[in-house]
Amino acid sequence: MNSPIKKIMVYVDGTEQSITAAQFAICLARYSDAELVAYYIINTKALDELLKASIFLKDEQIEYEHDLEEDAKRYLNYVQELARAKNTLITTKSSTGSVYQEIVNAVKEEGIDLLVIGELSRIRSRRDEFYDETERAMRSVPCSVLIVKDEDHVYELYESLR
Amino acid sequence: MSFIDLITENVIKVPLQSTSKPAVLRELVQILKDAGKIDDFDAALQAIVEREDKQSTGLEKGIAVPHGKTASVKSLVTAIGISKDGIDFNAIDGNPTKLFFLLIAPPNMPGPHVEALAEIAKLSRSPVFCDALVNTRNAKEVVELLKEE
Repeated sequence: MNSPIKKIMVYVDGTEQSITAAQFAICLARYSDAELVAYYIINTKALDELLKASIFLKDEQIEYEHDLEEDAKRYLNYVQELARAKNTLITTKSSTGSVYQEIVNAVKEEGIDLLVIGELSRIRSRRDEFYDETERAMRSVPCSVLIVKDEDHVYELYESLR
Repeated sequence: MSFIDLITENVIKVPLQSTSKPAVLRELVQILKDAGKIDDFDAALQAIVEREDKQSTGLEKGIAVPHGKTASVKSLVTAIGISKDGIDFNAIDGNPTKLFFLLIAPPNMPGPHVEALAEIAKLSRSPVFCDALVNTRNAKEVVELLKEE
């Protein structure tokens, strides 16, 4: 039987949880012989909203957008190094806009059949405002979603990969 | 790390004691110092004051979101303060500010920083909820309003 997973996308957002997700995705890609794509989204929608809400000044919005672009490069390079260290091919991509919308679009456009994301908050909020964009994307993408937990276990798995 | 994960009773103060803008900024940063969230009080305060000097983060409806970046924190941190009488914070509508969300991030963490600020911005659009927060009597009630545990 062929592997049910042909193309995996891991969402990288500059958090430790997303790096753990990337390590797990590298393991999965190797074991299932699937293509692997790492994706970072520069959340320009949030930057626009912060300017509109007067929380950001215009020059602050530009500064943070630049910071996010640099963050995207840094994290995607790091994930690329993680994959290279385990002889696994990976494609890295970034885009700008709404995190939720860009994840959904990328999954459809890339023909992804498994989205891998880092652990979400274990705390439930009484407020809808605290449901983050990744969680919204998780509910909306047309493919299966894997939420990676247990950083120590994943690290061991990743390290044991030859 | 979601914004909700940062909120614990020891980073909330109800009511704030300060009656002026410089004093409330110090009081909010002191909350983080007392909670062991920052090492360098002066550097953290300086980052916040420098941002406020450009333009007040006092929004409409009695809410302020002082924020800044500094290497004096290792991860994103927040403090919430509530002033019952309100403080003149040079808010854009000229009204006294009662609800303060302080956010400090290290320079290398723009993603979670922007995400947390965006969540506060969404929250600030609900006047009913902001009123409920202002009417809390202590930190425990603030946490109870925000979290379902």
